[in-house]
Amino acid sequence: MNKRKFVARRAVAWHRFEQLLDRLDTISLRRFSPAETAEFSRLFRELCYDLSLIRSRDWGRGLVSYLNDLVSRGHNAFYSSPPGNLAQVARFLAVGFPQLFRRNIGYFLTAAALFFGSLGITWAVVQNNPALATRIVDAQTLRQAEWMYSDHSSKGKPGSQADDEDWQNAPDFAGQRSFMAGFYVLNNVGIAFRCFASGILGGVGSVVFLLYNGIFIGALAGDIIATGHSEKFLSFVVSHGSFELTAIAVAGGAGLMLGNSLIHPGQRTRLESLRVRGLEAIQIACGAGAMLVIAALIEAFWSPSVAIPNPVKYAGGGVMWILVFVYLSTAGRWESKP
Amino acid sequence: MLLVMSRSDADPGAAFRVSTDLVIETPENVVLSYRLAGPAVRLLAYLVDLCLRIVILIGMWIAALIGGIVAGGVTMGMFLVAVFLVDWAYFGLSEAFFRGKTLGKHLFGLRVFQEQGYPATIWGALLRNFVRFVDNMSLWGVCFVTMVVSGRFRRLGDLVGQTVVIEERRVRVPREPIILEKIRPLSRTELGSYVPSGQTLALIEEFLGRRHVLTYRRGHAMAFVLARPLANRLAFSGDPHMVDRYPMAFLAAVYATFYQVHEGEDDEDSAARPGAGRVRREQPVGAGATS
Repeated sequence: MNKRKFVARRAVAWHRFEQLLDRLDTISLRRFSPAETAEFSRLFRELCYDLSLIRSRDWGRGLVSYLNDLVSRGHNAFYSSPPGNLAQVARFLAVGFPQLFRRNIGYFLTAAALFFGSLGITWAVVQNNPALATRIVDAQTLRQAEWMYSDHSSKGKPGSQADDEDWQNAPDFAGQRSFMAGFYVLNNVGIAFRCFASGILGGVGSVVFLLYNGIFIGALAGDIIATGHSEKFLSFVVSHGSFELTAIAVAGGAGLMLGNSLIHPGQRTRLESLRVRGLEAIQIACGAGAMLVIAALIEAFWSPSVAIPNPVKYAGGGVMWILVFVYLSTAGRWESKP
Repeated sequence: MLLVMSRSDADPGAAFRVSTDLVIETPENVVLSYRLAGPAVRLLAYLVDLCLRIVILIGMWIAALIGGIVAGGVTMGMFLVAVFLVDWAYFGLSEAFFRGKTLGKHLFGLRVFQEQGYPATIWGALLRNFVRFVDNMSLWGVCFVTMVVSGRFRRLGDLVGQTVVIEERRVRVPREPIILEKIRPLSRTELGSYVPSGQTLALIEEFLGRRHVLTYRRGHAMAFVLARPLANRLAFSGDPHMVDRYPMAFLAAVYATFYQVHEGEDDEDSAARPGAGRVRREQPVGAGATS
């Protein structure tokens, strides 16, 4: 077979394949008619053969790179992963994420110990000695937080109803809540993802994030309780705290997973270990992100509402903590493990 | 810095080859090579994406201000969610759903691939872009260092996500470089019995096809490297002036003389060539598998 003759004979098929590929740039492979799909498949395999033939005969780089380009574009169109859909997202949250979470529970427990441990200790210390709070949180932020949870009135008891109702009846109350929901998503999910991603630095980044946030939140909480705003503060945080704090620990655990895969690769090479566990860690981190979105909605619309009496908030908060526990510990158990 | 060791499972010899190609063996047993994208072009694509993200945010901000006349808080809340999405999801979702491309990558012909040789999966894309947060630390310092050290220009996010960034090339069918009618073949009386291989003829054809990128003198100088030994091998007894002064013309004449010689193998070739017939017979199988 002569190169010229070969090119002359096959060029028609190549051009046809090129046309199909150009069409694929605008529509997806699934929109092809059955005849087109069959033709695409046949031409693809013919071109694969042509390419290896030309390579083995060494018929020039120009021709090889032309066919290499065509075949690789065909290969991409053929083997591109199917796009996800909402059903898959729902399935991931209902089954995939909790299963993965339980399989790597140790990392979560470590992260939770770091986060809740530092939070609890700082809280206890600062509540007993509020002067220490300024060493951790700057004075202005502290005053702001105290003001937020105060009754905005000189009286200690909820004689401040009028004030609160004014606030709620203000025309922009709903708008303000939505604004805060957006802010919570931006801020909290961002923190969780950073906490996860920085775990790749041998886990150090995640540990720093977990401890920093634990100590910061603990100091704020201790100070607010010590200055006598406990009722409003606790009823505020009890509900969304379930999803929010747990999710931060979950994301931190995913970060520790990345870090530990480098430190203890086991039988794999470090790179291989990073890849295998990284694939699981990212899924856990995304699950934590979803939990934080739920937390943001609760924090914006349920927690600050003055219409709901505090006992209901405590009860609701308790239910949510149980919900988080049940979700993470049982969801997906009915499915066999992959 | 532009050359890295390319390690490939498909090609064991590649461990010692210095190249910027990524070699992948497909399920069809075809070896495909992709050109890896270097840091410079990727930085440019990133900057384009950065500009686009800023423009999107400014647009959203203006829309939020206008919408704010009706419902202030709600639109601002949505704006903040948009900031979050542009910050954390723009790259990941774009690469996952547009076959490994963002707009910036598209403009520079880049594409994110899984190392196994298909466009980025959703988790691969998300992972490499979450870790971008670490890569961007110290003014992309982490990113550049890992790219240089890791081989295949993989930054930290690529290492975790098992991805590489490749450059796509659009290539045309090479033109026919030699107008055979205009070239007089060499006389058989001037030649010995040696017949150049098809490989040699393909090399000549390719060289002549690209001669316009060289100056006239340089073209002849390079052609001479092949023309002289070829003339010796052919025991060429014609005009020696032609070989020494106009080696390109000599090579073209050799090509014109021999390009039809391999024609004779045609019949035996197509008999030994199982593919043409087999591929066509396989057609229903392929149709069933893809529809």
